[in-house]
Amino acid sequence: MVTQVRADDRIAARVWEALAHVADPEIPAVSVIDMGMVERVDVAGGRVRVVVLPTFTGCPAVPQIEADVARAAQAVEGVVEARVEMSFDPPWTTDRITPDGRRRLRDFGLAPPEDGVPVLIASIGLPDRARCPFCGSRATRAESMFGPTPCRAVFYCDACRNPFEQFKPV
Amino acid sequence: MSEALAAVAVALADDELVIGHRHSEWTGLAPHIEEDVAFSSIAQDEIGHAAALYTLAGAIVGRNPDALALGRDPSEYRNAVLCERPNGDWAYTLARHWLYDTAEDVRLEALARSADDALRALATKMRREERYHLLHAGTWLERVAQGPVEGRTRIAEALARAYRDALALFEPLEREEEAVRAGWLPDASTELRSRFAQRATGQLDRLGLPTDIGAVADEAAEFVASSSGDLLAAGPAPPEPAVASGGGGRRGRHSADFEALWEEMTRTYRVSPGATW
Repeated sequence: MVTQVRADDRIAARVWEALAHVADPEIPAVSVIDMGMVERVDVAGGRVRVVVLPTFTGCPAVPQIEADVARAAQAVEGVVEARVEMSFDPPWTTDRITPDGRRRLRDFGLAPPEDGVPVLIASIGLPDRARCPFCGSRATRAESMFGPTPCRAVFYCDACRNPFEQFKPV
Repeated sequence: MSEALAAVAVALADDELVIGHRHSEWTGLAPHIEEDVAFSSIAQDEIGHAAALYTLAGAIVGRNPDALALGRDPSEYRNAVLCERPNGDWAYTLARHWLYDTAEDVRLEALARSADDALRALATKMRREERYHLLHAGTWLERVAQGPVEGRTRIAEALARAYRDALALFEPLEREEEAVRAGWLPDASTELRSRFAQRATGQLDRLGLPTDIGAVADEAAEFVASSSGDLLAAGPAPPEPAVASGGGGRRGRHSADFEALWEEMTRTYRVSPGATW
C-alpha cells in the first residue's frame, strides 16, 4: 500500500515535469505550467487525472491543449491511463501566471499582465500604462481592449513607437 | 428534476449564441478596424460562453453540445428576441450591446451564487471576461453621450427602441420556479429585471441621457399568457402581440428576423451534421 502511494507520488511528480514542456498552442514560448493552467494532478494506481483551467472560456486553443496535456501525461513512465478534465473551478485568473511565465511572455513580445492583478471583478480592466515588452518604457497607451485573440489587448509605445500586445488582465 | 437546470442553461446559451452571431456580422464591416476586431472578439467570447453552457446542459440531458447549438428547429430556441434583432445602424448596435451586457452582468452576478457547482463556477468565470464587454459598451455610450447632438439623439432613440426588448431578457425562463426552488437560479427573473432596470436607468441618468424609456417599459413589466398562448403585456398599456413588445423568446416565439438568422447560422450543420474541422 505504502509502496503504491510512493509510486503514485513519483508518477505525479513526473507528470508535472512533463507538463512543463506542453506549450500553449497560441503562445508557444510558455507552457501550461508557466500559465498556471494546471490546477491539480491526481494519481491512483497509475491512473492519472489532470485538472486544467482554460484561460479564456472561448479560447479556440482549449481542445488542442486538452489533447496535448493528455498525450504528455500518457507518455510518462508508469502511467496506466491519463484523463484530462477542463474545469472553471476555480476560475483561471492572470495572477496564476508564474514569474517564469511572465518573463517568457515578455521575451516573446507580449506584455504580461501586471503582477498580482486583478482579483476583484470590478478592478478588471487594462492598465493605463502597460510596460512595453520591447523597450521597457511605460510611456504607452491602450489602443484597444480587443486584439487578435480573446486574451490580448493592443497598446502603443510612444517611446519606441511600436504597437504591442498585452495579455489581458482577467 | 435537473432538467430545469438544463433549461436555464440552454436559454442563456441561446442568448449568447444568437447575439454572438449578430456581433460577428460586423466582422469586416465595422466603422473602423478597432471596432471590427472588438465585435469579432466579443462575438468569439459570447459563442465560447454559449458552448460552455450547452456543454453543461448537454451533460444533463444527454445531448451533444453541437446538436443543442445548431440541431434544433427555430421554435426550440429560447433566446430573448433582443438578441436576434438585426444590427441596424451603429447606434442600435451600441445600444443593444450596452443593454445586453448590463443585463448579463446582473444575471451572472446572481448565477455566481447558484447552488449548482458547475453553473456557479462557469458564471464566475464568464463574469470576469464579460467585464471587458461592459467596459467597451460603457466607453462608447459615454463618448456618444458627451458628443455632438446628432450622436446623442441617435443613441437615445436606439436605447428607447431596444429597452423593452432588453427587459424581456428577464421574461421568466422555462421551468424557472423549479430552478429557483432548487437554488440553481438564486433570484427570480422578475427580481433581476427590476435590478437591471434600476441599474440601466441610473447609469443613463448619470450620462445625461433620457431615462423616461423606463416609464414605458414599467407598464409592460408583467407578462401574462392570453387565451391564444401569446404573452401579452398586462396593465395600463394596450396589449400588443408578444414579439412586437419584445417578449415571447423564452417560449420559442421569435420575430421574423430569427428565421433568416437561424437559416444562416445552422446551414453548415444541417448540410453535414457531426462534421468536424
